[in-house]
Amino acid sequence: MELTALKNAMGPERVICDPSMLERYAADISFVNRVRPVSLVAPKTAAEVQSLLKFANETKTPLVPVSSGAPHFRGDTVPGVGGALVVDLSGMKQIMMVDRERRVAMCEPGVTFAELIPAVKKAGLRLNMPLLPRQTKSVIGSILEREPLVMPKYQWDISDPLACTEIHFGNGEVFRTGQAAGPGTIAQQRAIGGVQKAPYGPGTASWHRLIQGAQGTMGIVTWMSMRCEILPSLEEPFFVGSSRLDELLELTHWLVRMGLVNECFILNRTNLAAIFDDDANSRSLRDTLPQWALFYTVAGYEYFPEERVSSHLVSVTEISQRLGLEAARTAGRISAREMLKTVQEPSADPYWKLRPKGACQDVFFLTLQEKISGQIAAMTELAEARGYAATDLGVYIQPIVQGTSLHCEFSLFYDAANKGERERIRDMTGAATREMMARGGFFSRPYGEEARAILNRDAGTVAVLNAFRKIFDPNNLMNPGKVCF
Amino acid sequence: MALSKEVYQAFEDVVGPEFICDDPAIMPSYHKTEFAAVILPENTAQVQSIIRLCNRFKLEFRPVCTGWTGTFKPGVLYIDLRRMNKIIEINEKNMYAVVEPYVITAQLQAELMKRGFHLNVKGAGVNCSAMLRGHGHLDQSTSGDDRNHLAIEWVTPAGELVHSGSLGSAGEWFCGDGPGPSLRSILTSAVPPGVTPGVFTKAALKIYHWPGPTKFPVIGTSPNYELSEIPPNFMARYFSFPSVEQAWAAENKIGEAELAMELMGFNVAMVAANISTSNEEEEATFKRLSKEVLGPGFFVIIAGNSAADFAYKKRALFHIVEAAGGQSLKSLENPRTEGILLCQCIRVSASIRETFRPGGMFKSIPVMGQRDLTIKWAIGAGKAKSPLIEAGHIVDDGGASFGWGVEQGHVGKTEIFCKFDPMNPVAKEAVQKWYDEQSARAYKENYFALLMPGHPEDIGKSLSNYHVWWNAIQKELDPNRVSPEAGALV
Amino acid sequence: MGLEQYKGDMNMCCRCSACKFIPMQKISGNDYSYVCPSISRYNFHSYSAGGRMNIGAAALANGPTYTDRLLDIVYNCQMCGACGVSCNYAMDMEVMAPITEFRVKCVADGKTHPVLDKVIERLRQQDSMVPVTGRRGDWAAGLQLKDATKEEVDVLYYVGCLTSYDKRLQKLARITANILKKSGINFGIAGDAEPSSGGTAYEMGYEQDFLNQASKTMSLIRKTGVNTVVTSSAEDYQAIKVLYDKFKLKGDLKVLHIAEFIPQLVKEGRLKPRKAVNLAVTYHDPCHLGRLAEPWVHWEGQKVPGDRFVFDPPKTYRRGSGGVYEEPRQILQSIPGVTLTEMPRIKEYAWCCGAGGGVSDSNPEFAQWTAQERIAEAESTGAEALVSACPKCEMTFREAAAATGSRLKVYDIVELFEQAIE
Repeated sequence: MELTALKNAMGPERVICDPSMLERYAADISFVNRVRPVSLVAPKTAAEVQSLLKFANETKTPLVPVSSGAPHFRGDTVPGVGGALVVDLSGMKQIMMVDRERRVAMCEPGVTFAELIPAVKKAGLRLNMPLLPRQTKSVIGSILEREPLVMPKYQWDISDPLACTEIHFGNGEVFRTGQAAGPGTIAQQRAIGGVQKAPYGPGTASWHRLIQGAQGTMGIVTWMSMRCEILPSLEEPFFVGSSRLDELLELTHWLVRMGLVNECFILNRTNLAAIFDDDANSRSLRDTLPQWALFYTVAGYEYFPEERVSSHLVSVTEISQRLGLEAARTAGRISAREMLKTVQEPSADPYWKLRPKGACQDVFFLTLQEKISGQIAAMTELAEARGYAATDLGVYIQPIVQGTSLHCEFSLFYDAANKGERERIRDMTGAATREMMARGGFFSRPYGEEARAILNRDAGTVAVLNAFRKIFDPNNLMNPGKVCF
Repeated sequence: MALSKEVYQAFEDVVGPEFICDDPAIMPSYHKTEFAAVILPENTAQVQSIIRLCNRFKLEFRPVCTGWTGTFKPGVLYIDLRRMNKIIEINEKNMYAVVEPYVITAQLQAELMKRGFHLNVKGAGVNCSAMLRGHGHLDQSTSGDDRNHLAIEWVTPAGELVHSGSLGSAGEWFCGDGPGPSLRSILTSAVPPGVTPGVFTKAALKIYHWPGPTKFPVIGTSPNYELSEIPPNFMARYFSFPSVEQAWAAENKIGEAELAMELMGFNVAMVAANISTSNEEEEATFKRLSKEVLGPGFFVIIAGNSAADFAYKKRALFHIVEAAGGQSLKSLENPRTEGILLCQCIRVSASIRETFRPGGMFKSIPVMGQRDLTIKWAIGAGKAKSPLIEAGHIVDDGGASFGWGVEQGHVGKTEIFCKFDPMNPVAKEAVQKWYDEQSARAYKENYFALLMPGHPEDIGKSLSNYHVWWNAIQKELDPNRVSPEAGALV
Repeated sequence: MGLEQYKGDMNMCCRCSACKFIPMQKISGNDYSYVCPSISRYNFHSYSAGGRMNIGAAALANGPTYTDRLLDIVYNCQMCGACGVSCNYAMDMEVMAPITEFRVKCVADGKTHPVLDKVIERLRQQDSMVPVTGRRGDWAAGLQLKDATKEEVDVLYYVGCLTSYDKRLQKLARITANILKKSGINFGIAGDAEPSSGGTAYEMGYEQDFLNQASKTMSLIRKTGVNTVVTSSAEDYQAIKVLYDKFKLKGDLKVLHIAEFIPQLVKEGRLKPRKAVNLAVTYHDPCHLGRLAEPWVHWEGQKVPGDRFVFDPPKTYRRGSGGVYEEPRQILQSIPGVTLTEMPRIKEYAWCCGAGGGVSDSNPEFAQWTAQERIAEAESTGAEALVSACPKCEMTFREAAAATGSRLKVYDIVELFEQAIE
């Protein structure tokens, strides 16, 4: 590859070709093939991203955009082809805007949850978060991946909280989505009181939806604005523990449907223990926990918060009693208050998914209320048939998009150093994906080795996506080999 | 313009002789356009066959639901989707409904209310297709624009059948996005000047919890319908304020506090239209109400999940209004008027009385986006209506605009229109001038760009060249260019 | 002026499709939400009232384009008036009037329906809208009723063509006469001298034939010297009460449908429904007793120049609220043992039986299609019987029930009431 031009443009020290550095990007915790990139550049500005795209198009060099720091889990940042240049955006750390009145913030791709949370909190705002992202996780990366959010009430649309974004398409053209598109520059928009909030457009299309879920195959995002929620003035968190998942799901349905709760999700005891495992005693902690724990929060805001909370609790109690369920302030030794505090921040280090056994492979999909119990039973059977103890299987159930579906995530914790176990998990991941698809699971975010099998089920969508991709990235430079490209 | 006998026969073979017509006698009822023919498919397979024939014969087509508005060019095949009128599924546990294009909102809403749900009602009215993209009275609590669609069954302009999201992979309707990038990026339905090319044959829509009765207790005979009682834990009020700024402050706080099922920022001209059964009554009511208000205002519906929830919402609502210097319009507080407004705004969506009744036509500038910003622009657009009102060209509505917060005020919708008699050429010209000037001002001052036919090339350049990308997408999807862009198809 | 006078109204149509459906806030689900049989059966927008407005406006602007399809649109409409009710919930514009005028124009232009031509030919020659068998007054044989043309009576019972001549329906005349007799009212009939009211001829577009019949009918009524006419035929009721008034032929004649008269007689203590009739029923509002029976409102004026479609003096629209809706229900509720369950589409937004506007003659298949839809709707209430107050409705429903194998019984309201009185 001809890197001279790039070195000339960026400065030689910015183009990293040190094998030990590149090795970090050659693989991750997933099972995708190891492919070492040929170089690495960490742009600091949109102009530098432009230079990279220009270079890539001139030299037909594949680009792999990365915004979060290691460890990576899903194979999407490992080059899918040889000769690739990694574009590491984790150094783009600017938080450009936090606007309390319009409930919106804007930042660059390198900004992590740990960095953005305090900034928006200072203004009286909060983010609708994924469940306990790792410390290094980029906010923009998470949003682009359409990660499930812990407050389904505030996820009106699966694209939330994305407001507007600036993307440099594979062919080097710059595009701003939504309200940010114009008229006027961002500065001119601000001058008349405009913020970059409304996501739709410009024109008929909702362009941001094409960028999300693309795993960097359409272009490189250099900033994004995201909607924020008001910071509650009062929060009352609760657990409901039960061995009867169906009843918890029914309760969850009503809590979300009636808009009574903010944070709301279900974990099995393995996951809950993993989150609070601060020593080697996870088994003893797990033994104190209910088989399934629904966690939810009732909140009050600026006006009469106590009255709001108590009025919501009237409905919550009525529904719970109808179902024979009872809310509690603890689940085993874990207090609901502690849980709330925990899920409003990123995971403490080490990342909670790595705590039980050092490695973890997730199998996740979207599904329906009426199907999930059967899918979990099938997964348990599948795991046990392969010698994986069902008690080691983590399960996370997240109602999404105001209750229109459930995100179901199986976490297969394992010891990466044990080659046999790793292979077994790899085999299980494939088998579980196939089994869940057969049982109606929808793998809306296809990663890694299973992506092809997932996409093969929908030739119609794949054909249209490929037609679009040719437009935005005619030279097939953006993260080739991912999704269906 | 007419189809050859052979071509006509090919289409007739798809739908049967009863469901295709090229007789000139019917054309005045189809937007006064000389279409090549009007065809009425019954199902997706027929739509697909029709579109494949269009590609074979290089014949342009336009699919239409109820067909309230629209601009069309002569010679195209008009696909009237009237026979595709089935509710396919209402999934209560997962809160979505699946409909064909000619299910109107009133039908779906009634079915949903029986089950404890409702849906976003577009401003065009409940008489229009339920699956439309759009905004309406209930946006505050039921979202809007393109954000209520889940999976969609779509026949592309090339005649391919595409099932978006979970429908394509799992045969279920609950999600419209993925695997990978979302086809919802382009499956957005109808917004001028462009619409998604091809035909939506079925769509899944988000539905929302309905805390009200399984049906509204409507009594009386048309047009004097009213409610026999206000449903428990429901309240409708109109609040006015001394200034736009104060009204906006209250609107914003109501959104933040998540109080309102509906918050409709219209002035008393539109209130008067809703509660009046004739033009004369409307004029008199407007004059009367205008004397009672402090200034600009908004209409609010609150609905409690319980008596406690209702009490809380009521208390917080009045607290916010009072703090912002507003007050309730007393003459609208009587239960009869309150009931009429509840019914008008939830079950009817108001629009015909508000728009077409006075003069037969209205011309509108609708803006989706940031509410406070568009309010600022609309003040000027409202003032610019004054000379037209004084000249008697347009209906006196006090220079009103209207709008509301979407998703509890996260985003918003603002609209302003002139109502006039389209048979009066002087009025028509004056309204067009107002429209051109105000949309040009919005663009020049960086408020927004109104993407109406004729503008995209100029405006597109300043909006990330979106039109270039959109045209490229259209070309990919529609190699024979048989699915032209045109106006809305509510 | 004809169609021309409604130019502004037709141009007001905003194509909102409300005319296809029952009023929006009355829609209770996906079923039974349409109100216009014509658009429901024929699907092309042209068959809706909105489409008819657009076609009418274009005909005024450019001259009519007479084709077979146009005439198919024109004559496949029951003229039931439901579209106007739904439209006029929100809009200020005439709907039924221009639709009627368009038919009148078609007839004037010689663009008639051959079957309807034959019906009118019969009217001209035999003074009947229905086939004539025997003499008009045969139904009264042996009842010893007063001849209002010869004897002094307070009330004339006007029977109508269908009830007079149709052997299956003559019982309604006899029952009505029996009820009137029991009430002690001094009434009479015109027997063979009774002319056809001509109402249906007007709906078919034959305005002059209607006017001829109206003239004959009013001459007869004047001859009897009565101030009050009672009829059991909804079509004739509407013709004499509303259409005659529209053409300023009615004078101060009081016109009552038997379903209006009975509650008065009960209230006065003249009739006492005391015998139980154990039956679960649902009630079908005949168009001509319901929305179309709203009194005519005379108006003359000009559009006020300017922004609004308003007039000087202000125009009062007939929006459907003035029909006879409550009295038939009062009758049913007054009968011991009768339980009434309402259908989804009632009163001003009731679905037509299918027979109106000449459709039962010109397109019996469409009339039956429409009636069968109503039979299904009636069955959905769980009722044992469908009760109406119009001989044409009864005839159409009986055929539809038989054709669909429905077990639903079909009655006229006088049949049930007669069973209940002592």
